[in-house]
Amino acid sequence: MSGWFLKGVTTGTKTTGYPAHAEGAPGVSPGRPVGGAYPEREIPLLVARCPVGAIRPSGQAAVMVDYRRCVHCFRCQRGLATPLAWESGYEWAGVFNDQQALDHAFTRSVNILVVDTGDCGACLNEVKQLNNPYYNMHRLGLFITPTPRNADVLLVVGPLTDHMRVPLQKAYEAMPTPKRVIAVGACALSGGVFAPSFACNSGPADLLPVDVAVPGNPPPPLAILQGLLVAVGRKSPRPLESPAGDTAQEVSAR
Amino acid sequence: MMKLADISTQVARRWPGEVETRLDVSSSTCDLSCTSNALPAVCTWLFTEAGYSFAGLVAEEGASQWELRYLFYGERAMGWVQVIIYAPLSERTFPSISASVHAADWHEREVEDHFGLVFEGHPRLGDFVLHDDRWQEGLEPMRHRFNGREAVGERQPNLHWRPRRIVHAPGSFMMPIGPVFSGGTEPVHFLLETVGEDVIRTIPRLFYAYRGIEKIAEGRTVADALLLAERFCGTSAFAHGLAFCQAVETISRLDVPPRARALRVLLAELERFRHHVAAIEAICESTALAVAASQTAMLQEDVLRVTGALTGHRYLFGLLCVGGLTRDLSDTDCQDALAAVQHVGLQLDKIEQLLRFTSSFLDRIEQVGVTAHTDVRAYGLVGPVARAAGIARDLRKAQPYCGYEALNFEVPVENEGDGYARLRILFAEARQSVRLMEQAVASLPAGPVTVPPELQPGAALGWTEAPRGAAVHWLRLGEDGQVERYRIIPPSFMNWHGFHLAAEDFAFQDFPIILATFDLSVAENDR
Amino acid sequence: MNIAVWLIGLFLVLCGVGIALVVLLPQPRAPQVLAWIGALASLPVIGASGWVLLAGNTFTMRLWTLPSLGTLLLRMDRLSALFIVITGLVFLPVSVFCAGHLSRYLGRYSLRAFSVMFLALYASIVLILTAGDVLLFLLAWEAMSILTYLLVNYEHEESAHTRAGYVMLAFSEAGLLAVVLGLLLLAVPAGSLDFASLKTAALTLGPGTRWAVFLLTFFGFGIKAGLVPVNSWLPRAYTAAPAGFLPVLAGAMLNLGFYGIMRVNLDVAPITVPAPGLVVLVVGTVSALLGILYATIENDLKTMLAHSSIENAGIITVALGAGFIFTAYQLPVLGAMAFVTAGYHLVNHSFYKTLLLLGAGAVEDRAGTRDLNKLGGLIRMMPWTALFFLVGALSIAAIPPFNGFVSEWLTLQIILRSVELASVGVKIIFVICGASLALTAALAVTCFVKAFAMGFLGMSRSARVAQAKEARRSTLAPMLLLSVLCLGFGVLPTYVIPVLSRTMAPVVAPGATDALVPPFFAGSPAHGQLPSAFVAEFHDLGAQTGQRILPGRGLVVMHRGGTANPVVFAMSTSYMVIVLVLLLGIAYGVIRVLTRRRHVVRRACWDGGIPRLLPEMTYSATGFSNPVRVIFEAIFHPTTIEDQPDTVAAHFRMAIHRQREDVHIVDRFVLHPVKAMTWGFARWLAGMHHGKLNAYLAYVLLALLLVLLVAWALPVGP
Repeated sequence: MSGWFLKGVTTGTKTTGYPAHAEGAPGVSPGRPVGGAYPEREIPLLVARCPVGAIRPSGQAAVMVDYRRCVHCFRCQRGLATPLAWESGYEWAGVFNDQQALDHAFTRSVNILVVDTGDCGACLNEVKQLNNPYYNMHRLGLFITPTPRNADVLLVVGPLTDHMRVPLQKAYEAMPTPKRVIAVGACALSGGVFAPSFACNSGPADLLPVDVAVPGNPPPPLAILQGLLVAVGRKSPRPLESPAGDTAQEVSAR
Repeated sequence: MMKLADISTQVARRWPGEVETRLDVSSSTCDLSCTSNALPAVCTWLFTEAGYSFAGLVAEEGASQWELRYLFYGERAMGWVQVIIYAPLSERTFPSISASVHAADWHEREVEDHFGLVFEGHPRLGDFVLHDDRWQEGLEPMRHRFNGREAVGERQPNLHWRPRRIVHAPGSFMMPIGPVFSGGTEPVHFLLETVGEDVIRTIPRLFYAYRGIEKIAEGRTVADALLLAERFCGTSAFAHGLAFCQAVETISRLDVPPRARALRVLLAELERFRHHVAAIEAICESTALAVAASQTAMLQEDVLRVTGALTGHRYLFGLLCVGGLTRDLSDTDCQDALAAVQHVGLQLDKIEQLLRFTSSFLDRIEQVGVTAHTDVRAYGLVGPVARAAGIARDLRKAQPYCGYEALNFEVPVENEGDGYARLRILFAEARQSVRLMEQAVASLPAGPVTVPPELQPGAALGWTEAPRGAAVHWLRLGEDGQVERYRIIPPSFMNWHGFHLAAEDFAFQDFPIILATFDLSVAENDR
Repeated sequence: MNIAVWLIGLFLVLCGVGIALVVLLPQPRAPQVLAWIGALASLPVIGASGWVLLAGNTFTMRLWTLPSLGTLLLRMDRLSALFIVITGLVFLPVSVFCAGHLSRYLGRYSLRAFSVMFLALYASIVLILTAGDVLLFLLAWEAMSILTYLLVNYEHEESAHTRAGYVMLAFSEAGLLAVVLGLLLLAVPAGSLDFASLKTAALTLGPGTRWAVFLLTFFGFGIKAGLVPVNSWLPRAYTAAPAGFLPVLAGAMLNLGFYGIMRVNLDVAPITVPAPGLVVLVVGTVSALLGILYATIENDLKTMLAHSSIENAGIITVALGAGFIFTAYQLPVLGAMAFVTAGYHLVNHSFYKTLLLLGAGAVEDRAGTRDLNKLGGLIRMMPWTALFFLVGALSIAAIPPFNGFVSEWLTLQIILRSVELASVGVKIIFVICGASLALTAALAVTCFVKAFAMGFLGMSRSARVAQAKEARRSTLAPMLLLSVLCLGFGVLPTYVIPVLSRTMAPVVAPGATDALVPPFFAGSPAHGQLPSAFVAEFHDLGAQTGQRILPGRGLVVMHRGGTANPVVFAMSTSYMVIVLVLLLGIAYGVIRVLTRRRHVVRRACWDGGIPRLLPEMTYSATGFSNPVRVIFEAIFHPTTIEDQPDTVAAHFRMAIHRQREDVHIVDRFVLHPVKAMTWGFARWLAGMHHGKLNAYLAYVLLALLLVLLVAWALPVGP
């Protein structure tokens, strides 16, 4: 037993400083494309290149990226004469429908119920990484619970297969109010690479009222963490499209 | 050991007139077209006497006939044997081989749900892929007439569906687990039949994550189908994507450049390494050994960050393309990544040493979840689970691909078949992965990383040894380069079938630990 | 003349009238006659015995004198009165229960027969308890045995019931034989048959004869009381007995065994050395433990309650044994306390066992089954039955503030008092018995949690059970009465103990009352005699609370020790109830106030997301008791029979059939060897019956020679 103790003590502190400080270690996030100015002649090629239709022309010589659809296939980066602009960073979560920030609903610890509705395993693995010492969501008061009876937040991953409709509905109804729903991953927001399919949906949005969306395929743990903080009102949400409405281009993470 | 060439002579002698042989030495494949009557005998002979492993069953609806393809493989010289039945579309009943080749059990059930074919002699058809309480009978989604891209309109599910009960003892009951259970697990439903503490029988109810991959792949371009192949199981994305690409490259006779092959080996072993670290973490967490779980979780995050820094994506999405890789990785980047992985490997060795002497941990996995060698062979289990029970078959050695034949590595085998043996296999294979990565980086040839993908129609098998075991993909491309039939036989599909062997006759409390040592993926199984 | 005599006479007349009415009136009327007469007849019985018990006016009455056999005497002293009052309080609710319950036998079995036998049995039991001489005692006892056999075998079309009846009859007769021998050993030196002269003669007996008397009567009456190793008949008979008779069997007739033991070994030939007491103690402990072990794994409600009766009989016997030992070691106060405890547990057991058996009868009536694996959810359909059954279950599991708690707590305290004994060996035995009793108490809780939870809570496990309706009023009213008695005897022990103490007083030294319920209110006259240290500690216990309004000696049961330790143990279920009600009330009020604005939504139980939670997915009774089954496997020694699994091929197992069988440990060690020996002996004897005439003539000649020899050897005299 002393071997474990020594191992633990000598490992030191590995926890990230997020959300107090930005996390800059390499490999924490794949980054994502950025919409904006793009040579007009090449826009049709770019739009056709995206397999899920996440890139749309926006005005004269600009494109717009819908993050709800982006599946990180990197085709807008590789194999093109002019690759699309790319940003690093991980603060991706936003509010699903409105543009308002969610109010401070839960003041103390938050219990999260994770329901996998057909996820490939990558998003689920990223959610599980939140418990490891690098991210340690417990220090922020976030806990994963196995039962909906004491859950505050329902975290849904996967495109919602037909077989999981009833279990998801039951899990949502078994949770006491107030509750929030957070949909994580491109599959849960737009069906990812799977929609349209007879056996699965484009996410849980037509079954449950989704509050927060975390785009990405998969979103890195820091993005999911930010999404959870948005869900409880501790962080402000980000736009789910780029560029965001009329405002200037997306700013890189702080 | 039987050689592929002997197959045709043997078969001709045993079943004269009923089986046609076609031997292709270059691809080490032998096709046996046989009649329905001879099918069980031929398959049984291949499985029990000739020593072949059963890989899977591929059913195809042709323009005017069914093609049922039974895939067998063995060690190097044994090659691949495909037993094929051609039957007119009006014929819907075929003999079942599951009584003697039990590994075919779930394959036949899947074909029955997908195509509506009936396998005579199989005692448990129905409610497999399509749950009877959600879908009506006779849907047959894999048939051409079914449109897989729109929602099914009218539905008449069986509202009185009840799970089948196997144990009849006074006071026996079924303890339900799932599909939503525990803190963040994949959806699967267990009914543990018991009279108290010991689980007498358990059959998992799977396909809660069924997305109809094989159906929606039909009609897609190869590039879009590759997206599906990568992403139906994100934790072994590279392995399945590689199998798909190899199938296309075999069909189109593309020569992948050597640098691409070496990098593919490096990335595949990187994925295997990360997966094994994650599996070890899952075992430590299931036994509630918190320090070990935290330490291994950190190591997994380290490997994820290395992968992300090296390739741009933590799970290796978007790297493969038909003919090579989508981007090149510089030699220095590869060496840095290798150094980081070696460091993780050292930490992993230390953890293994510590675990060997943690008796409270060993008590929970030693002699727990035991699978017998004969059962593992009969069920056709693959991967670390099978190697822990004495079945020393690894596709990288048995049917090498992607340049593995030139590399130096061992396939660790244990004989006890319990949880501890499976854990030891995971550690040993992780070490071998590091060794393979070292060899790949040490001799990284120069050159391009891709060739232009000139597609041709045809059909072929592509296979890899995924982290969980043998992954076999069957692909048929049409004239326009689109996918006509895509069949995935993932290792989890074979191993979920045999999971109940390990869970039975052990107490409830051991169940999550046995589940963790089996290292199964629901998404990979369900497709 | 004593009014009690008149009341007993009235009772006997009423029984006769009832029997006549039953015979004359048409069959469907019989249950109503039984109920009315049974209830009416119980009133004088309770009145008479209650009056004797409380006022102390015992009586002896001479009946007929038989030539050369002596006079038949009727005698009621306080010991008899205690048992008669219990009998009356048991027969009253059971008679009312029979009014509605017997209708299910209409057309199949004779209702007249049941009613006649029931009333006759009632009369015979009262006669046994008021018998003043051996002859009347034995006559009434034999009548009771035969009537019991007939009633147990009432549903005689089931072959299992017939076998159970035979086993019970065989054991009864064996017990009677032993008792007769024991009483004869006492009667021969006494020269006459009435208990009073037996008592004087017992003083002159030697130790060997006393041992013989003790063993014969203890094990002879122990058969009726259900003690190991002679209780093999009890589970079988209880399972076979009809639900209208079983409460009487368990609530009134088990006590007859104890009456016999107490009458002979406490009153007539009291035990003066510790060794017999040790035998009693050990037999009681083993009975208690084995009884509850088998009760915990049993799934048939009636059989479970049968084994539980064995457990309770064991506990009573343990208290008796402790009493014998303390008295033999010249600790009369402790001995008196122990006997009071035994009497208390006897009373309690009668009440809650009858209550539980009435509940089981109601369940079987309405839900159609007794199998706990098939019941469930009855609290929704039969809420009152569930409530009363819960009261019974809490009482038998010794949960405060019900009556079972008081007597079991006192039993454990008595065992702890063994520190005052001198002999180390005896103390070690007491320690082991105490530990076993603690285990028994824990298992009893498990057993009755299982019974109540699996029977009444959760989901109904079969369709027939889901259609059950509430029991009849004629079932609920008796259960209400018994529940009130259970609660009353639990909450007011300080009023019961003095009565019991006076009952035991003639047979043991007086003083238990003062030991257990001392007068502590400052105003009472005896208060000044108490040592000041005790009074000081007493006040700390808050025992003065309510002194102005409470009559009698207050509400705390306790034991006074010496100067160093003034209060050895103390307990008050009465104050416990008050505090409990207050705390629960306050908590409830606070919660209601705090959650006034909360919006409550009720939804189905969370089941993991499956479409429907089925009854077979909930825990079964077998599963609940499985840990006990596994831990005590060495005692149960089960054999598992697994049918050839239904296979299509080696791996396709479509069905697995498993049966578990076990033979009761007492059967294995006592009944089956005795059976084997008897059969062996009989077979050897049968060798004599080979049919040869010459040999038979030789046997006659041998017998004649033997008789002549004996006659020549015996002295002949006037």
